Amino acid sequence: MGLSSNSNESIQLCIFDLRRGQHEGQELDKILFFFPSGLPFSKQLSVIGLSEGLITFTRIFSPEAACDSIEAERHSHVFHEPEPDIWMVMVVEKSNDSEPIWREDALRKVLKEIHSLFVMFHGSVRAMLEKEPGGGLVRRHLYSFIMDYLRACIKRSPWDDFCCDFLVGKKFLLPSFRDCLRERGTAQMLTINREAAIEVQSLVRVLESSAVNTPCHSLVLFQDLLVSTTLSPDDTINLFTYAVLRLTPRALSSGTSSWSYLRKGNIASNVVAETNVSSQNSMSESFYGSSDISHGDDNNYHVVRPLQSDKWSKGKDGYLVTDLWGAEVGTWVFATPTVLLQQTGERMYLCAYQHRSLTLMLLIPISSIPNGEQGVSAVKQQVLENASLKILKIEEKLSKGWGGENAYHVSGYRYLLVDGDRSASRASPATKVTTLAKESLLAMNKLRQEVELEKSRAKLEDHCCEKDLEVCIRAKNNAWVISRVTRGKELYMVLEKANETLLYASDAVEKFSNRYCDGTFSLD
Amino acid sequence: MESSSSQSNEPEPIVVVEEKQRDIDITTSTEPGSDITWRRTTGSDQDMDLPSSPSSSGYAGEGGGSTSATTGSLIEIEHDEIEEEQQLRIQNQIDEISITDSNSSWIPGKRHQNEDDGSISWRKRKKHFFILSNSGKPIYSRYGDEHKLAGFSATLQAIVSFVENEGDSVKWVRAGKHQVVFLVKGPIYLVCISSTEEPYESLRGQLELIYGQMLVILTRSVNRCFEKNPKFDMTPLLGGTDAVFSSLIHSFSWNPATFLHAYTCLPLSYATRQAAGAVLQDIADSGVLFATLMCRHKVISLVGAQKASLHPDDMLLLANFVMSSESFRMSESFSPICLPRYNPSAFLYAYIHYFDADTYLMLLTTNSDAFYHLKDCRIRIETVLLKSHVLSEVQRSLLDGGMHVEDLPPIPQPGVSHLGQHMLPSDSPERFKEANHSIGGPAGLWHFIYRSIYLDQYVSSEFSSSISTRQQQKRLYRAYQKLFASMHDKGIGPHKTQFRRDENYVLLCWVTQDFELYAAFDPLADKALAIKTCNRVCQWIKDVENEIFLLGASPFSW
Repeated sequence: MGLSSNSNESIQLCIFDLRRGQHEGQELDKILFFFPSGLPFSKQLSVIGLSEGLITFTRIFSPEAACDSIEAERHSHVFHEPEPDIWMVMVVEKSNDSEPIWREDALRKVLKEIHSLFVMFHGSVRAMLEKEPGGGLVRRHLYSFIMDYLRACIKRSPWDDFCCDFLVGKKFLLPSFRDCLRERGTAQMLTINREAAIEVQSLVRVLESSAVNTPCHSLVLFQDLLVSTTLSPDDTINLFTYAVLRLTPRALSSGTSSWSYLRKGNIASNVVAETNVSSQNSMSESFYGSSDISHGDDNNYHVVRPLQSDKWSKGKDGYLVTDLWGAEVGTWVFATPTVLLQQTGERMYLCAYQHRSLTLMLLIPISSIPNGEQGVSAVKQQVLENASLKILKIEEKLSKGWGGENAYHVSGYRYLLVDGDRSASRASPATKVTTLAKESLLAMNKLRQEVELEKSRAKLEDHCCEKDLEVCIRAKNNAWVISRVTRGKELYMVLEKANETLLYASDAVEKFSNRYCDGTFSLD
Repeated sequence: MESSSSQSNEPEPIVVVEEKQRDIDITTSTEPGSDITWRRTTGSDQDMDLPSSPSSSGYAGEGGGSTSATTGSLIEIEHDEIEEEQQLRIQNQIDEISITDSNSSWIPGKRHQNEDDGSISWRKRKKHFFILSNSGKPIYSRYGDEHKLAGFSATLQAIVSFVENEGDSVKWVRAGKHQVVFLVKGPIYLVCISSTEEPYESLRGQLELIYGQMLVILTRSVNRCFEKNPKFDMTPLLGGTDAVFSSLIHSFSWNPATFLHAYTCLPLSYATRQAAGAVLQDIADSGVLFATLMCRHKVISLVGAQKASLHPDDMLLLANFVMSSESFRMSESFSPICLPRYNPSAFLYAYIHYFDADTYLMLLTTNSDAFYHLKDCRIRIETVLLKSHVLSEVQRSLLDGGMHVEDLPPIPQPGVSHLGQHMLPSDSPERFKEANHSIGGPAGLWHFIYRSIYLDQYVSSEFSSSISTRQQQKRLYRAYQKLFASMHDKGIGPHKTQFRRDENYVLLCWVTQDFELYAAFDPLADKALAIKTCNRVCQWIKDVENEIFLLGASPFSW
């Protein structure tokens, strides 16, 4: 399964600006990013030409929502317009059996994630284009950012320990039907008891007042799970995603751990594939500024690459350090990373502290610290003094209560629970989901696709009340594939051993809902 | 028919169908400056000027489509979906007039001839259909004037060929609520642009039927014209057939045969249907390929020659062709037609005769000289039908209607448990009576469709009063259609059971080796009761299958 093995063509990803290159001979101007970058410009322009044509065409009938996707016999094209006239398009080649094994929505969420992470670190694409209308600046940033992201995608996936065949000869691990019980763009929460919750509360309050005059924000993670946040859902997801990619203990250790030979092998072959491609066309390499060198001196611009792997490490004082943001001018002090908050548009210093399984992200408004790095380290120092005892205690408490990797496994059920309002999700552990038959997963994948389509249509109706839907399907292999959508919450469930009746299956959902979802999905 | 009499006197008729090859000879079909663009006659009756001379199939060139378009201007509102809420009120008024038979009150024909892709109203139509050639020439458009849509057609062609140049072929494009579905059939491109939320599989199936309808009129040999001349203009060949296509497109929203790929029978007593079948069987042995007695789109009886089988899609297209062409109602006719599933490249000859406003006979043969023989057959059939009161029984059945959910027998048969559900405590008789309060059948049953797999037939209940307007009925059909597509997924289907509850309905679907059941309930219906009710529906259908299905009486299919 997976992607086609003639991997050079298996995925194309491009970003273009409809406002640029509208005159003949200047078409190249509109391309801001293209993967694979070595593809001849004529081919790149043909992908973009088709996309542009269909955007224009579909606006005849649907002016408010232009092209979302194209489905062809051999490829799926997924569109996303993250900023006005800035379009991202992903073209994925299908495997031989011609039925797509991914969900359009899951692919679009990859595009969304790329863009919102990019904006968090670099600001909007449009803003960068306005800063440097030539486009060189944004191209260099997009290129290094997305290439780092795609590499990270491979490393992050928890599947790679289990689905070795999935990676052989493949370039990128796209979300497939096997991920149908996961939801990108949501945070996975740790459930904690009341006592622990009170202590976390008090820690959060201490962190909030770390800076002198303005309140700070914080995110607390235990392992790869979110414990608390003071940010908006969107900002939370961005930082949570980044933390799981680069900061949590698991992310920090993955670069060196011995069992990751598969990943390493794959990354190596992946890099080889890229260089092969790019060497074919040195023109495009310079076009995108695609030199893979780390912020070299030969570059006029210093391109920060926040997603570059193996660049974070834990310092002696417990704070995580990186040289990704360079050093403060004239010193050997590494510059503190900064991020842009979506909700407030405010730029913040990002300080990450780690104690065993607990990762703490502190966000300090830049405006509140007049004296740069010096000020930041003063705040860091102060946090240590005020909070380290609390951190110690909380870590201990959470570790004791932690049920391990399978903490959220509910025997007999394979499920995904999404809380759309809070952008949070919970799911059966990956190891358990892999025990499901391929037919069951495909059926669930298909059902999710149907539900997503209905949801997106309901969203387009202005008079929309929230979608309320219940679907129970007995698949060919006798598995029950169930979806419940109500009041912004979604439950997806596969029951393979419930070899019984519809009423039995409904009963199982009811029990699960009462026990684990506060009765959200129960009738009455 | 006005033109037919004058035509039969013409010394040199325009013979489009060569008798032996049964091919289209395009060069003789178009006559510059003539308003008769496409007319087919049979060779045998040209020289005979008999009073009872049959009409040629005069569906073309008579402007039947255009006259109905003007007379239908009041009723068309009922049919056209435009994305404006204001029209709903008017629609509901018209709906009330048209409750009895969604098919009868609707007048086929081209709508909104004056629109083109520049018109706002055209852009807002909910469902467009286009046929174009691979050089981008428009052949048919549901709305608007084909000639004014040349530029738009060229765009559609460009999209298809752009993707083709990449070694791929485009299936659909989605934008917000709109879906653009493409179907390439050799030199013919078919495109649907819809915001009706129907799934891709359904829309694609509809394009297949439209292509099939085109073949009914022209056969696949039209492809050869494009081989000879890629810029070939096909519109004249289809001149005057707007009504055929518009009525087919209309049926997508009321006739479940369009997605079930099955046909339905008019409910009749077993003896009556036997009587009709027997006389059809008699004449089938005398060189008739298929003999079909129909009432509107429902089959009364059907007989085929040995080993010949009639595909339900062919029946649908043939019935649509006959019913939407006014001229067939005027007098007996003999017309070349093609059955795309039977043989897409050859014409058959159909003798068509209406016994009354609703009931008609179709006799299909490969022999283009068979008119007088078939006419004799018809007279024999008519005599028997009258003697055995079949025609009056048909009229009575029309008045009575089919299965009413309100009539569902109350006592569940013990030991029969198709849906295989164990009984829950909630299943007590008291509760059952309580749930019966709402309008419709027991347990809030509103409607059902049952499809027998071996028979290739389905039966659809009458609508309960909860689904009385055209709008509501159309919505239910689309919900069934969606359910059908979901159950019959190409990759992983068919699923076995599906329960689906949303703000409009509870839908239950159940697919077995023998049959498929689709049932719609009140959205508040109790799950256990709904399941039980489905079992009762299945039992009910078993009990009356002699009357609602055409049972193994003929060897036409196996």
